[in-house]
Amino acid sequence: MVEVRGLKKRYGDKWAVNGIDFDVKKGEIFGILGPNGAGKTTTLEMMETLRPIDGGTVLIDGIDVAKEPQKIKYIIGVQPQSPSFQDKTRLTEVIKMFAAAYGEKVDPMKFLRDVDLEDKAKSYVEDLSGGQKQRLSITTALVHGPKVFFLDEPTTGLDPQARRHLWELIKKVRDRGISVVMTTHYMDEAELLCDRIAIMDNGKIIAIDTPKNLIRALLKRGFKKEQHVEQANLEDVFIDLTGKGLRDA
Amino acid sequence: MRSIKKSLFTVLTFVEVDTRRYFRDRLAIFFTVIFPLIFLFVFGSLNSGDNSVSFRVALLNKSDSEIAQQVVKQLKDGGILNINEDATTLEKAKELMIKSQLDATIVVPEDYGTVKEGEVAPSGQMEVIYTQNNDESGAALASVLKDVSSKIVPVEVPFTVKTEQLNSKSLSPFDYTFAGLLGFAIIGMGIFGPINVFPELKKMGILRRLSTTPITVWQYFLSTMISQLIIGVLSLSIMFLVAIFVFNLNVVGNWLELIAFLVMGTIMILGIGLALGGWAKNERQAAPLSNIIVFPMMFLSGTFFPRFLMPEWLQNISGFLPLTPVIEGIRLIATEGQHLWQIAPQLGMILAWTAVIYVIAFRVFRWE
Repeated sequence: MVEVRGLKKRYGDKWAVNGIDFDVKKGEIFGILGPNGAGKTTTLEMMETLRPIDGGTVLIDGIDVAKEPQKIKYIIGVQPQSPSFQDKTRLTEVIKMFAAAYGEKVDPMKFLRDVDLEDKAKSYVEDLSGGQKQRLSITTALVHGPKVFFLDEPTTGLDPQARRHLWELIKKVRDRGISVVMTTHYMDEAELLCDRIAIMDNGKIIAIDTPKNLIRALLKRGFKKEQHVEQANLEDVFIDLTGKGLRDA
Repeated sequence: MRSIKKSLFTVLTFVEVDTRRYFRDRLAIFFTVIFPLIFLFVFGSLNSGDNSVSFRVALLNKSDSEIAQQVVKQLKDGGILNINEDATTLEKAKELMIKSQLDATIVVPEDYGTVKEGEVAPSGQMEVIYTQNNDESGAALASVLKDVSSKIVPVEVPFTVKTEQLNSKSLSPFDYTFAGLLGFAIIGMGIFGPINVFPELKKMGILRRLSTTPITVWQYFLSTMISQLIIGVLSLSIMFLVAIFVFNLNVVGNWLELIAFLVMGTIMILGIGLALGGWAKNERQAAPLSNIIVFPMMFLSGTFFPRFLMPEWLQNISGFLPLTPVIEGIRLIATEGQHLWQIAPQLGMILAWTAVIYVIAFRVFRWE
């Protein structure tokens, strides 16, 4: 679905992205990991038509992003790092506007139901919690039925319940056959959610595989972690005590 | 055809939501409707008083002759003098004159109107006292008093001046003020609107998110334009209603032509806001540039005071500012009843500016 070949981006005389290659298959969750400044967001933005490509190509469903950005916009959905909406807009109106941006008329309630926001339909966006805004943003990015869905650090700043809920949503999106490309700083998120991951550093991809294979390869190289045979971690305790129910109602 | 329809659907949906949002935003309503109305009331009440000259004077009558009484009564009833009743002594009057609360003091001396030794008829001389910077009112007042005095004792003057009043009404100061205030309201909506909103939308990443959808700059501009025009029609209609019913504005021109002209003027001025707001990455970039562009127009295009008061060279320059033809056109149509084809220079200038401004606005627009 997505083919990236020799992709490059330069800021001043520094290559923020320095010749990367990867493919994303239909209906998989592909994670891009890396420390700050590794070039994750820049890579995403070039694929989303937000930034000019300085070298290499990105093909999405066979269409060249650099040559036909307007066509690309119809087949991608974008979730920004911190989604925000204009005040005094009702949730139904947000959906209506985004659908209209693609020239389409949709039933806003259907899309709100997809992300469990139907009882907030008449609220203004400024009355939503962080997690609810993320969910609204996800559903607005899917109003036109895109083939590829990009998310930039979708769970940063959310509480454990909201994170889990969002993971489930992202999996549902994948199960509809949409390819998901996301960046994240959370290793647990990458391990649990992503079918394959690419690890970036200094503008280059230094490893690319399924999380399991990457861990196996590391162990094969003779890596040993101090053994703590614990059957639970603190997050398990937290979820056990506070439950999985969402708290932003 | 289908794609044009789709494009327009996009635009109209944005207009609909934008307009709804506007009516939920009290602050926006204040700045677009109430704020210009406040200016209208302030300038309207400054200008709507009767426009005959009036002097603020102290009248000190020391004589009790019958003629003196008669003169004083004439002066009081004449309507030209606004007599300050507090100033009863010369000292008090002088103090008020120095504070510029009085233009002059008229003193009627004790012997005024009495028959003096060796004369047959009563005579007298009034004194007009004024300060240095009131030369003109002093002189004008002296001639007013001469006029009053001559009415008491008829004198045959061989050469006289006959005055005739023209039937056509001249433009009142309010006619100028109102056209200027409409210009001010148009600037407020068209320029300050986008300048305040766009950088904010960029900061929040809302425009950036929008740019990942297929919506084009022209669709976005058009939707902003239409929703601003809806708000503009509302705001300007309220101003017209207040001007007509409170300040007796007399609109003699054709309303349809006036509306068409206002729409064209608003679209042009809105282009300036779209260019500035669309270019600026944040408020810090937007503010100084907009001040450089807005303030000269505010003061030189006839917004708060008519351009004919300016020196000729300044009038020549300010004639080319985008807002000038808008204000002049409004006045020419509304209060002089001219038709669109009669104000071709103003229309041409607006169309030329519209073309220039929108070319710039499209070029400099940034989604982030």
